[in-house]
Amino acid sequence: MRRVAVVALVALAFPANAWAHATLEHTWPSYRERVQTAPKTVRLDFDQGVKPLSNSIVVYTEGGRVVSGTARNGARLHDVVVTVRQLPKGPYTVRWHVISSDGHVVSGVFTFGVRYPAPPPTAAYGSSGPTATEHVVRWLYFLALALLIGGIGARLLVVRGPLPPRAERRFYLLTAIGAFATLEVGIAAFLLRAEDALQLPFGRFVYGDLAPIAGGTRFGVAFIAMTLGFALVSALLFLSWLTDRVVLLWPALVLGLGFASGLSLSGHSAADAGSSWKSELADWVHLSAACLWVGGLVQLAVVVLPLAPELRRAAFLRFSVFATVLVALLLAAGVYLSILRLPHLHDLWTTGYGHVLLVKLGLVAIALAWGGVHRLIAVPEVARGGGRLFARLPRSVLGESFAGMAVLLVAAVLVDSKPPVRPQTELPRSASTSATKTVVSCSAPCLRTEAGPWYHAASARRSSPPNSRNNSRR
Amino acid sequence: MQPPAEHVHWMFATGFVVLGLCLLAEAIVGTEVWSRRRWRAYLWPGTLFLMGVLMWPVMTFFTNSTIHMLAHGTWAQVLMLAGATELALVRGKISSPWWRLTSAAAFLVSGISLLVHEQNGWFFQRSSFLHHLTGWVLVGAAAIPLGRCLRPRSIALGSAFGLAFVVVAVLLFCDRDLAPVFGHLSPVAGAPHR
Repeated sequence: MRRVAVVALVALAFPANAWAHATLEHTWPSYRERVQTAPKTVRLDFDQGVKPLSNSIVVYTEGGRVVSGTARNGARLHDVVVTVRQLPKGPYTVRWHVISSDGHVVSGVFTFGVRYPAPPPTAAYGSSGPTATEHVVRWLYFLALALLIGGIGARLLVVRGPLPPRAERRFYLLTAIGAFATLEVGIAAFLLRAEDALQLPFGRFVYGDLAPIAGGTRFGVAFIAMTLGFALVSALLFLSWLTDRVVLLWPALVLGLGFASGLSLSGHSAADAGSSWKSELADWVHLSAACLWVGGLVQLAVVVLPLAPELRRAAFLRFSVFATVLVALLLAAGVYLSILRLPHLHDLWTTGYGHVLLVKLGLVAIALAWGGVHRLIAVPEVARGGGRLFARLPRSVLGESFAGMAVLLVAAVLVDSKPPVRPQTELPRSASTSATKTVVSCSAPCLRTEAGPWYHAASARRSSPPNSRNNSRR
Repeated sequence: MQPPAEHVHWMFATGFVVLGLCLLAEAIVGTEVWSRRRWRAYLWPGTLFLMGVLMWPVMTFFTNSTIHMLAHGTWAQVLMLAGATELALVRGKISSPWWRLTSAAAFLVSGISLLVHEQNGWFFQRSSFLHHLTGWVLVGAAAIPLGRCLRPRSIALGSAFGLAFVVVAVLLFCDRDLAPVFGHLSPVAGAPHR
């Protein structure tokens, strides 16, 4: 026993200066820095001594040409330095790998620009853009938001009064699934994007430095804010169930709608050329209305109609009015955003973005037609007090919600697609001065924009970095 | 603006001390006496739930590696889940003692997360040793809530449950070079990390 205690004490005391794998603390140039004078070296400073490999720091031009030499320790063991050639104006990607004192290889990526705006690390040289998996994950995220926000919205704005116990339990179950999925799918989406930026095999990805992506991109900041916000929404939802206080759902709804804006503030409407506060607001209204509509339909079909017979008439009629307002908002915001992104009508059939938008419009038409049938046939019948319809109504309402979910799937693909580049003359003045927006409007071959990972023809033809998994992934 | 990692460890260690002491007090005086004031019954499950909520900022702001982000995310979820279940049991929203298995699952998942995210051997360094030790303590302690499902009034099991949190807290207080417990003991060990 004494021996075990001695061993434990020795292990606690020695060696005390190595406590975890190395963390990158500073870089020169710094993350996404726009430098006026081309640097002669690139230097990384870690929080502990590290061992460099010969290719510990590789600097790529936008076209994928390596412009760095052999990496070595700097003045201290904490530093790793590499010399670079004379760098002309343009964006550069730095990919680094060092051996930490615990023996693990830690890796990361960042970007900088020489007299040029640096792209976000998610658009660094070598990253391949969203895959089909990311489309599905984004769709699942939309569905989770709809279940959560739409569910709470329907409970507060459509049902209003107390629900029978079984219906109340099912309401909380569905919204809890939505809350859980929002958090989980959000993490999965972030990791998929980070994996694409880092371009590392799984064994090294687990030690990949995510800080430049979490803190240096709109996507990362939105991930942080939304994760924290929806954790709070989950807590409020739970407390509402625990204490039987529906009033707690109000702050949950407000927070949920507020933090859903993270998607609007990090997507096309915020980052692309021509974006403004109006496009961000329109995007948020579009997203919120869609979530409230689809989530409300699910609550109506799965909770209210089958489990609350005394409430279903009033709830159905109220939802009909609610949905009409939502659809009007959805269409108004959608038309505004479509005109903004596709300034010419022929863009609809001549660009890839336009094709996806056409598919979305077709599905929206189906969903609206379905809703129209409910509005024109079911609502008058229910208002007259006809109860026979309620036997078939849950399935029909569920069908409408499935049509809405299909729209969300195409919306997920649309978000990951890139609207056509507007000619320079059409851009508002502000678009060509903002660091992130200029990436779109630059005349030189471009990397992807932050909002819509996509390739210019020139960048799509580039060769991959040595550890790139693009070829195997695609 | 980010606090040093060790400070965050100590904040959560303090939370675990509070949890452990509440549970030990409840085990000593008995649940009936402990619950005479209603708020006391909610104290430790509420603290557990709050610690889960507070773990989310740790998960999102300490992103220097994927595995740490995932581990912190896992702890945030199991802490919230275990706290939520215990709160619901106290409130009477759920009644089966088998719900206590949520705490067992939380211990197990937390322990496995600790063991998985530590890739070095036991004696590689202080944090490796403590990660292994804490991980195995948590895995072993998962048996305690399991026992409480079968014998909910057992004083021994109640005390062991509280002690498990205190032990985890002490290990967290030890976990860093500048730790208040078993801190930078020897000049042979090199300069303190910070």
